Amino acid sequence: MWRGLSALATRAARAPRRLCARRSSGAGSWTPESTIFALSSGQGRCAIAVIRTSGPASGIALRSLTASREPPPARSACLHLLRHPRSGEPLDRALVLWFPGPRSFTGEDCVEFHVHGGPAVVSGVLQALGSVPGLRPAEPGEFTRRAFAHGKLSLTEVEGLADLIHAETEAQRRQALRQLDGELGQLCRGWAKTLTKALAHVEAYIDFGEDGSLEEGVLEQAYLFPLTVDRDVRTLEAALGSHLQDARRGQRLRSGVHVVVTGPPNAGKSSLVNLLSQKPVSIVSPEPGTTRDVLETPVDLAGFPVLLSDTAGLREGVGMAEQEGVRRARQRLEQADIILGVLDASDLASPSCCSFLDTVVAPLAAQSPTSSGQRFLLLLNKSDLLPTSPPASDTALLGTPHLLLSCLTGAGLDGLLQALKTELAAVCGDSSTGPPLLTRARHQHHLQSCLDALSHYQATTDLALAAEALRRARKHLSHLTGGGGTEEVLDLIFRDFCVGK
Amino acid sequence: MFLLRDRGRWAAASLGKRLPSCRLRSDSAAPCRAHFDVVVIGGGHAGTEAAAAAARCGSRTLLLTHRVDTIGQMSCNPSFGGIGKGHLMREVDALDGLCARICDQSGIHYKVLNRRKGPAVWGLRAQIDRKLYKQNMQKEILNTPLLTVQEGAVEDLVLTEPEPGYAGKCRVSGVILGLAQTLEKLGFVVGRLKTGTPPRLAKDSINFNILNKHTPDDPSIPFSFLSETVWIKPEDQLPCYLTHTSPRVDEIVLANLHLNSHIKETTRGPRYCPSIESKVLRFPNRLHQVWLEPEGMDSDLIYPQGLSVTLPAELQEKMIACIRGLEKARMVHPGYGVQYDYLDPRQISPSLETHLVQRLFFAGQINGTTGYEEAAAQGVIAGINASLRVSRKPPFIVSRTEGYIGVLIDDLTTLGTSEPYRMFTSRVEFRLSLRPDNADIRLTFRAHKDAGCVSPQRYERASWMKSSLEEGMSALKSIEFSSSKWKKLIPQAPISINRSPPVSALDVLKYEEVDMELLASAVPEPLKKYTAYRELARRLKIEANYESVLLYQLQEIKEVQRDEAFQLPQDLDYLTIKDVSLSQEVREKLHLSRPQTIGAASRIPGVTPAAVVNLLRFVKAAQQRQAGVTEHQTN
Repeated sequence: MWRGLSALATRAARAPRRLCARRSSGAGSWTPESTIFALSSGQGRCAIAVIRTSGPASGIALRSLTASREPPPARSACLHLLRHPRSGEPLDRALVLWFPGPRSFTGEDCVEFHVHGGPAVVSGVLQALGSVPGLRPAEPGEFTRRAFAHGKLSLTEVEGLADLIHAETEAQRRQALRQLDGELGQLCRGWAKTLTKALAHVEAYIDFGEDGSLEEGVLEQAYLFPLTVDRDVRTLEAALGSHLQDARRGQRLRSGVHVVVTGPPNAGKSSLVNLLSQKPVSIVSPEPGTTRDVLETPVDLAGFPVLLSDTAGLREGVGMAEQEGVRRARQRLEQADIILGVLDASDLASPSCCSFLDTVVAPLAAQSPTSSGQRFLLLLNKSDLLPTSPPASDTALLGTPHLLLSCLTGAGLDGLLQALKTELAAVCGDSSTGPPLLTRARHQHHLQSCLDALSHYQATTDLALAAEALRRARKHLSHLTGGGGTEEVLDLIFRDFCVGK
Repeated sequence: MFLLRDRGRWAAASLGKRLPSCRLRSDSAAPCRAHFDVVVIGGGHAGTEAAAAAARCGSRTLLLTHRVDTIGQMSCNPSFGGIGKGHLMREVDALDGLCARICDQSGIHYKVLNRRKGPAVWGLRAQIDRKLYKQNMQKEILNTPLLTVQEGAVEDLVLTEPEPGYAGKCRVSGVILGLAQTLEKLGFVVGRLKTGTPPRLAKDSINFNILNKHTPDDPSIPFSFLSETVWIKPEDQLPCYLTHTSPRVDEIVLANLHLNSHIKETTRGPRYCPSIESKVLRFPNRLHQVWLEPEGMDSDLIYPQGLSVTLPAELQEKMIACIRGLEKARMVHPGYGVQYDYLDPRQISPSLETHLVQRLFFAGQINGTTGYEEAAAQGVIAGINASLRVSRKPPFIVSRTEGYIGVLIDDLTTLGTSEPYRMFTSRVEFRLSLRPDNADIRLTFRAHKDAGCVSPQRYERASWMKSSLEEGMSALKSIEFSSSKWKKLIPQAPISINRSPPVSALDVLKYEEVDMELLASAVPEPLKKYTAYRELARRLKIEANYESVLLYQLQEIKEVQRDEAFQLPQDLDYLTIKDVSLSQEVREKLHLSRPQTIGAASRIPGVTPAAVVNLLRFVKAAQQRQAGVTEHQTN
């Protein structure tokens, strides 16, 4: 495609030329172009979500996630179990389509993963892709841009592009402005300003610090270096760090708080899930080990979006299928924001109950209440089976605060909802008074990248490298605010498209 | 003050082979029907490089200059190089240009600036003996094969009808009288810039004993890739001295502003190298640096850098006497201001050929730059392209991703300039890749293949260096030990023992405390041989230093190159084309700058994203038409 264009230009231009000439760099060789990935379908819960990759490492990504040696036949849908390439954790059963370039949307090697639309599945697959070497999240509009670059957009499409861009850049800028108009926007702009100033100081120091023939004002700035710059960068690092700690909050608000119900078998976990979701999500039976897989259901609890997971009862030495269920339950437990531990109030002395108290409750209770770790509520179910006077002293509970509940009668439900509301508010933060929320994973990605770049600044004594680190940090911030980078007009246009489109 | 024809700026014209004559009028008994492929007007820093480059490319070349004995004259400061400028010199050298080699035969105080700031921004610099530089340059120019030097003033261009199919309203086929007027009459937009020069002081009248003495580097780092070492030993080189202005200097300047025409005028002066008057006005109550630089080995003159001034001579003397160490200094020449014409560089293409007149090339101060190095860089490119134009080969263009020369020319031709343009490292996006140490690897092979302007000696040397570097890097990558073993081998390096995977020698070389010598003493086999040549060992260390960051940058470079590959037809008339929807303002901007690629168009301020996409659409449509035609033919 490129060659075709060059050939055209060669004929049309006054004289043939070779602009994109080969370039021999130091001792290095060309790195392959980066491979990008993104969710291409809409955000939020839906039946099917499409995640797309484009670039030379697409094949590797496909093989890593499907654990197969050979790519599937080109352009035909195949069912595959997707696993995380590092942990081997199963993510989803998905339709996978392999489009080797150039016969693909972008003209590069592409893969489409059609996965189930739950936010947990989508973020799991995106994370898995992010862990494949050579892959990075796509910039907004980057798929379109690549398609364009490889001559994959037809003339009519290109015709519409300019109008679209005109409209979209405006709309998106307004949208971004609205979103970033508040505190976060102000913060980001403030940070970007600090970085621009820091960069200017470093650049001035490099270009003028030792050159006699310069305007003194510039030198004046340079004299202040590196003291002020180092100080500013450290302050910025601290600010970014504290915001990133809060980063999960905004995301939880957007895609739901993970609440996981756990406990020994037959404690009434599934009954609790059905009670909270007000629908029969899980099969309930008196037989221990009825629930084997993780069952997930979205619930609105006290105005907070919650993803409620019912898990298999935790016990050792049972059948293969249930063992797998227990393994998944433990895995899900690790991802939980809030854990609801359920025990049978009438059976606190049983071995499975004691084991649960020792291995799950004790470590959670030992966490300091201020740490940003998981929240935990201990529920004693089946209170209807208890004698009317509550148990005098439960040494087994080690003094852990707990709530009494009966899923059968509904007694204690109000208390539970009240307690859950408090916990939910704690993990989501108060959007009206707290620090500005980072509502999208993209925000977090850019802030984290900015922070990483700043750490490179601190780590180097080579000023050219230090300046490059600051440039990179600034670029990430300007990606966040949508401003900056005006010199790269093309980047700007295509950035204003939606990610993954 | 000076008109175009008075300065060492030049224009090159490439003449068709079948033209019967090159019309020259000259005082000497030159052959009046001589035949040349390329004529270079002006023997300044751009002109000499251009003439030599055209001749190296195999064109019969004529260098026209007022006086042969001014060839190689350093008209202002007695130094070459500096931050950003040193990069340009290395690139000129990589294209087999002259100035770096001539400097290495004429330098008298070598000092690399930014030594502690990282090798990507090192500024190779030297004080140069004016007399030696001129002698050596003249020797070089007068002995270049295919190059004829002729004294004479070019006064007009012989213009003929344009070649069909190319942009431009006419074609140059010879030269005669009244050049500046001709250029204006042809429709070139002319602007005016100013600069200044300091007074010169008698060396024996300065009290150096009370001043801060600065000695040169030991060893000296040569400018040219061909120089193993410079002509003079560090201990034989001359020192520089540093002094500062005093509050009395401010008083004299402020009391006499009415005598100073330079400041009041609107002509734009540089923000760097400013006159002492502007410094005092903008930053009062401060002491300003004054460097006392030698003008030559046996010169009696000292050049006080930082003291550029336009006051009347007697006030300059008064001012000098207020400066520490200069209390009794004798002023040999007063400083003065200079105003000069330049042509808006948006009127030339990246090959430096003008849009208006075919086969007419501009380079140097005429394009609004300042400095010897900027001039030399444009000179080489114009000389090469004039020669390529004669042989109808594609132009030789250095992209922004390939060199400082590319940034310089792209900035000028795309954005123009309203103040004297000077090279800085911060103008360069890919500073970490475009380093002074690797200019040969970046440019020499391309120059050899696409322009044919590189001597076999240089080509062989660059090839040897390239393969040695590649071999060295892979050797460094292949040697892997556990971190604890490295710790034992090289206790000087703060290697963290916690790193579990094996650590390569390349990773160890990245530590500030480690160089190739130290590494080779720990692992003599196979590293010993890479330390035998100091330059190679030094370059391996630099490559290691930037290795990991360059991976990022190479991706970005590739993205920029992709935009640059979208070519815009050169004969496009932006003011009238109908198939593209563009605002009048954008049309005018594009018409003025004539960007060669979509990448360049997108860098022009005021060209909107929508306009860029419309242009892309236009290119695509043309491409489809072209593809249709080809299909027909093959069917």
